[in-house]
Amino acid sequence: MRQEILLGNGAIALGLVEFGCQVVTSYPGTPSSEILPEVVRFVKSEKLNTYTEWSTNEKVAFDTAFAAAITGKRAACCMKQVGLNVAADSLMSAAYLGNIGGLVIISCDDPGPHSSQTEQDTRFMARLAKVPVLDPSSPQEAREMVGMAFDISEEFEIPVILRPAIRVSHARQSITFGEIRSNNKAASFTKNPSRWAATPRFRLKLHGELNKKLLDIGRRFNTLSDFNFHNLEPGKKYPLGIIAAGIPSAVIRDFLSEEERNDIPFLKIGTPYPFPDDLAEEFTSACEKVLVIEETDTLIEYLLRDKKKVLGRLSGHIPSEGELVPQVIHKLISQVLGQMSLKPLNPEDDNEITDLVGGLQLPVRRPTLCPGCPHRPSFFAIKKARPKAIFTSDIGCYTLGVNLGGVDTVLDMGAAITMAAGFYHSFDQDEVQQPIVATIGDSTFFHSGTAGLLNAVYNGARFILVILDNMTTAMTGMQPTPGLGIRADGSKGNAISLERIVEGCGVNFIEIVDSYDIDKMIRLLKRATDYVNDPEGGIAVIISRHPCVIAYKDEGVPVKKKVIVTDDCVECNICLEQFECPALYHDDELGRVNINREICVDCGECIQVCPKGAIVEVHEG
Amino acid sequence: MTTTNILLCGLGGQGILFMTKLFAQAAMDKGLSVMGAETHGMAQRGGSVVSHLRLGEVKGSLIRAGTADFLLALEENEAYRNLPFLKRGGSMYVNANPGNFPRENVRAYLEDHGIMYHCFSATQTAVEMGAPKSVNLALLGYFTGFNGGAVRYKELERTIDNISPEKLRVSNLDIFNAGFKVAYNC
Repeated sequence: MRQEILLGNGAIALGLVEFGCQVVTSYPGTPSSEILPEVVRFVKSEKLNTYTEWSTNEKVAFDTAFAAAITGKRAACCMKQVGLNVAADSLMSAAYLGNIGGLVIISCDDPGPHSSQTEQDTRFMARLAKVPVLDPSSPQEAREMVGMAFDISEEFEIPVILRPAIRVSHARQSITFGEIRSNNKAASFTKNPSRWAATPRFRLKLHGELNKKLLDIGRRFNTLSDFNFHNLEPGKKYPLGIIAAGIPSAVIRDFLSEEERNDIPFLKIGTPYPFPDDLAEEFTSACEKVLVIEETDTLIEYLLRDKKKVLGRLSGHIPSEGELVPQVIHKLISQVLGQMSLKPLNPEDDNEITDLVGGLQLPVRRPTLCPGCPHRPSFFAIKKARPKAIFTSDIGCYTLGVNLGGVDTVLDMGAAITMAAGFYHSFDQDEVQQPIVATIGDSTFFHSGTAGLLNAVYNGARFILVILDNMTTAMTGMQPTPGLGIRADGSKGNAISLERIVEGCGVNFIEIVDSYDIDKMIRLLKRATDYVNDPEGGIAVIISRHPCVIAYKDEGVPVKKKVIVTDDCVECNICLEQFECPALYHDDELGRVNINREICVDCGECIQVCPKGAIVEVHEG
Repeated sequence: MTTTNILLCGLGGQGILFMTKLFAQAAMDKGLSVMGAETHGMAQRGGSVVSHLRLGEVKGSLIRAGTADFLLALEENEAYRNLPFLKRGGSMYVNANPGNFPRENVRAYLEDHGIMYHCFSATQTAVEMGAPKSVNLALLGYFTGFNGGAVRYKELERTIDNISPEKLRVSNLDIFNAGFKVAYNC
């Protein structure tokens, strides 16, 4: 039997193809990005006819999948939790309309947060939209839940959300494959404007139908199943029980079985909404107190009826922010057991090692742009040319320009442009000419740049916009962008020109520069400044273009320049602080800066940065 | 039911994920259940990267602090940073200069807790062999030289042979074997 070690996202992808999903759409975002590429891999290896696409944003992904679902096909859209905010308008409405073929929304949460703006809990979005949500605790369970999600979605004609947290999406597990076949169900659309184009009068009726569906699904979730189960012994009473869901439920099951704690009963909830009230009631009535451990927020706590018995976030027993990693959960359970004069879990080691490591003053390794990254010279030039500007920026690798002092604000996708306009109008109102330089990546610009840019042009804002075009969606793992015209399955699509979009938004100053050419970039920024300040001017756009050195191993560094640092180095640290290439470090023994050959990519960009000319190219042989 | 917990750490770009993949594949090929957790996204960009690997019948993907059997570190400071994961009696394998590792106060802790520590300059080995980016394979080979269990030399060698990209296959095997020999001969 075929067995593979899959990422959680791979297991979800496997579930999608196993359960006959015919259309899969996505916009990349950690921790969801690997789902679609894994679907593509299975489509190719099993010769399936599944349609896949990288959509330009999550709302587009949602609507595309929704349309497929109302033709009777099984469809899914995949995104990260904050991506669901972008698709929220669609989700809320689709909940009322419902679907014909199964519609599954996969929204990956990021408790921590490791790679997101917020720790928001997708389960609350499900509650807000009034759609069912499933909360897997492992890759294998996530794969099985995909099947249940499609079944429920089809039977009740309602979108269903699968919410894997990052430790499911980016877990690895050995998975045994089942049979995979193409689902050849044909598309058919029956016109029914009172449903598919419902006006408010019909929406009221649809809302009533939605509420009825939720009651029925709630009854279904209220029975013991592979996803909702407990280990109460009939008739027995317990001082404390634990209700857990998602990743914490897996962690706690390991603890209880390793330490043979059969005295602590355990209820696992895999379907938190609609909430399995009866199961919860059965469990809580057998316990004097129940400890609720869920990620990331308090959905189960809110939905439990008998709150007097509940210990959790609302009672201050569980932290309200941050990831619940095993050692934290272990300690929390022990504390609660101790407070109730029950036997704690096996004692932890003392804090000796934590204190020891704390005392070592280890260097803090903040994330930083890669060696050879084209964003680094762009930010260096921007800082040189416009040192006093407000730097609005956006979501992507280039957010790390914050290390170089080139990023002052990051709000959400597209806000580099919208906030630049907001800053302009706020200062202009006071008759202050405030320099503003916005930076946004190519994929982020395609995602949500245009609405902001045409608004800024329309309303007469003035600022410099630098589009950092590295020809890929780098941060999330090198997915192609519309600019390349390469589609999710590697086939050729139609390339979309950034410069023509910018022109179409009404911008009259558009220049293109190779990001590696710092001097030209500085000259262009000066010209752009003149244009922004000219009474006849407006918004100036510079497209700083250079392929990402990770995505494009060869084209990224077309001319290899092996550099060394000479004794002319005066340890001014400008290269370390203002350029911050990880391949440059201060060598204490040599008393100067040195190059780390293990990671240097020979881009030679640092040659332009040293004011003493101490970084020089060497020619071997 | 025995579980083996392995923590792999280093810096973004050092190839922690490939090392984890080799380990996990070799373990699965010998019939073990594999569970693990890794770092993607922003944290990968040059920051500290930690990968958890659990072999055996477990539900959770993360190793609890104080329960790792093995710690493999591609960078010295990351080895120190992740020390709290190691259990009493565990073992660590570190890419560091043997002259400087471990620091004196850490050595006392390790000895006090029965933790075996082994270090060698995997960086030097990789650089000398003309593949400075293959430090991960040198350390992996070094680990197998101690025959620490869980996954053995021959099993990992076969996996490297099977899943390395073709143009790196021979070089990967050579560097892995060089690391192995350093440990085997000491």
